[in-house]
Amino acid sequence: MTAPGTARARHRRHAWLLALVLALVALVASGCGGSAATNSTNLQLYNDKAAWKPFYQQMSKLAHQQIGLSITPNGYADEPTYQAFIRSALQTPEQPDLFTWTTGPLLRQLAEKGQLASTSAIWQKAIADGNLPKGLEQYYTVNGQQYCIPENVSYWVMFYNKHIFARDGIAVPSTWKQLMADAATVKGHGTVPFYQTNVLFSFVWFQTLLAGSDPGLYTRLTEGKASYTDPGVVKVMRLWRSMIQDGYMSDPGNKTDPATLLKTGQVAMIPDGTWFDTSMVQAGMKPGTDYGMFVIPAVNPGLARTPVALETGPLCIPDKPADKQADMKFATWWLKSGPQAAWSDSRDDVSANPSVKISDQGLNTLTHQVVGSKYQLLNRYYDAVSPNVLTAALDAFGAFMGNPNSYQSQLATIQRAASGGAGS
Amino acid sequence: MSQQVLVRGTRTPIPPGRRRGRRMRTSGLWAHGMVAPSVLLVAVLLYLPFLWSLYLSFTNYDGSGSPKLAGLANYSQLLSDPVLATTLRNTGLWVVGTLVLPVGLGLLIALLTYNIKGGQWLRLPFLLPYALSGTATAVVWGFVLQDHGVLNSLLATLHLPGGSVSFLQQAPLNTIVMIFAQTWQSIGVNLLLFVIGLQSIPREPIEAARIDGARGWKMFSKIIWPLLRPLTAVVVGLALVAGLKTFDLVWIMTEGGPGRSSETLAVTMYRDAFVADNYGYGAAVAVLLTAMGLVVSLLYLRRQANPRNDVQLAGGGR
Repeated sequence: MTAPGTARARHRRHAWLLALVLALVALVASGCGGSAATNSTNLQLYNDKAAWKPFYQQMSKLAHQQIGLSITPNGYADEPTYQAFIRSALQTPEQPDLFTWTTGPLLRQLAEKGQLASTSAIWQKAIADGNLPKGLEQYYTVNGQQYCIPENVSYWVMFYNKHIFARDGIAVPSTWKQLMADAATVKGHGTVPFYQTNVLFSFVWFQTLLAGSDPGLYTRLTEGKASYTDPGVVKVMRLWRSMIQDGYMSDPGNKTDPATLLKTGQVAMIPDGTWFDTSMVQAGMKPGTDYGMFVIPAVNPGLARTPVALETGPLCIPDKPADKQADMKFATWWLKSGPQAAWSDSRDDVSANPSVKISDQGLNTLTHQVVGSKYQLLNRYYDAVSPNVLTAALDAFGAFMGNPNSYQSQLATIQRAASGGAGS
Repeated sequence: MSQQVLVRGTRTPIPPGRRRGRRMRTSGLWAHGMVAPSVLLVAVLLYLPFLWSLYLSFTNYDGSGSPKLAGLANYSQLLSDPVLATTLRNTGLWVVGTLVLPVGLGLLIALLTYNIKGGQWLRLPFLLPYALSGTATAVVWGFVLQDHGVLNSLLATLHLPGGSVSFLQQAPLNTIVMIFAQTWQSIGVNLLLFVIGLQSIPREPIEAARIDGARGWKMFSKIIWPLLRPLTAVVVGLALVAGLKTFDLVWIMTEGGPGRSSETLAVTMYRDAFVADNYGYGAAVAVLLTAMGLVVSLLYLRRQANPRNDVQLAGGGR
């Protein structure tokens, strides 16, 4: 028979244990609660540019001084994770105050679902004040309304190693023929002329060659109005194949940082966005001395205007943020020439504001050059196509680089994705 | 003296009748209460999300707004996907490779280093990589195996073949080298488990077999291997599941490329859901992967639980 005292002691022990377990559960559950309410003098800026944290912090100080608003950057290094987070957050009451996004189908997707606040009034005022070019508006327009504002603008150009050019006695090319002649000279001296990669930016040469051959076909293709098996597209892949087979392209599987490859002279030229300037400076290269950049000549010499790929990254305000007024105030301030000059200088990149003079002379000249009448701006391929087509295309271009003779099957794979079929 | 019953878990004998039933009910309630939070956690974090994924697999959800039903379209698309054969092949390679290499080598090293002087020091180099995460392992081995990486440079310097081989750019070579990278990292846990298993084997059957003249392979196959069965069932079961859900190493080293040639089912699931924003299709792949894991696990565990195996272990009824 059990002693009553022992049973009571056991019951008390059980009660304490159960209370402890319940307390732990309550503690964990409370930790899963929502974040603290946004203070309207500090805005949470979610972004997919974790490496830009120091630049955001500089802008935060400036914004605090000038308009009493600061920003706290919450950066994600992984793009799919970031996009999944933003999509989830927009469906909850805990929306970010500001967040970066992508133009093209992704912007349209959020705008059509009513998850973005309209910024039409900000755009009209900025254009009227000369803080934004009218030509940029189309990339931020969905069904007649503007959404988001340009956080950054970049143009896709060719970066080159000035020492290699000097060594080989070659000048900046102004035609495609000259570019190929320069590449042959560089190769003859034992340096790989062009950089290419099969990860993430595997689309770059496709974009460069197709836009430079037939910008109309390029635009139709990105809008889903042309086929990847179109003879014009096949011709571009054959050109790319010949450049690979002639030894003009770097090993696509080389994971060394491209800035390092250019700095050490392992490649002579890299097609990239002007934001790559930041990486070059961080790698210890001096603009104008160690490297320069030029607009990539069109493949087709008969084109009236040279195509230049434009990349513009939106900064968006969700439809139900904690303080929409503060968000709009920040967005209006962001586009002014003072903040844009600071933002551009911090990253050594161009500004969306055409009145801003950039410290980097080379960039300054280039910016004013490409918005002139001799150039045609086209949306970057990465932003212009839908995610499922982009995913299929990046994989296909990567596979092509490893086996250039497979271009027909790779184009067929991308077209299947574009048609919404299997393999997408 | 009335018959007394010893209730499992208590040291105190209690009289039969109503008091025993009430004590057992109370003890059962406490047990359920203690386990309830964990069960709730697993149900909320595992079962509910799985049911949500199952629902999404019948929709064309793109990650925003509300899912719209699409019937069996995702499954139909999956079965006609030309990449499915490649991903199934790669997943199969991973399952076989994860079984043969980390488990096989773990057992071999455990046997060779068990009960010898300094054995624990000999095991240390195999145990240390297990402390690394899958991501860290993938980054290190990516650096070694990439084009013009450490391995290419070493082979070229030593004038050995392979100096210009693209280990990560050719299929199925890229999958095979990644399996070796995974083996390097996961030998340790299998080795540890097998050493524990060897330690738990009673001395008497070993001594008796030795007296009967059993040595080497005969000792291993007739005595040690059958006695290791309970542990081997666990190790192999874990390796099977790990092989089926391979993701982190492949994603970091090749992202399933080039051209999806090194994709596994788990990579396909992630790519379609989170990269291509095709959550419905990704969910269908997830359901397929789960179904495969369940079938393989059930078949394997059923085989392990076969009573005929227990009779053999007991000496065939002698």
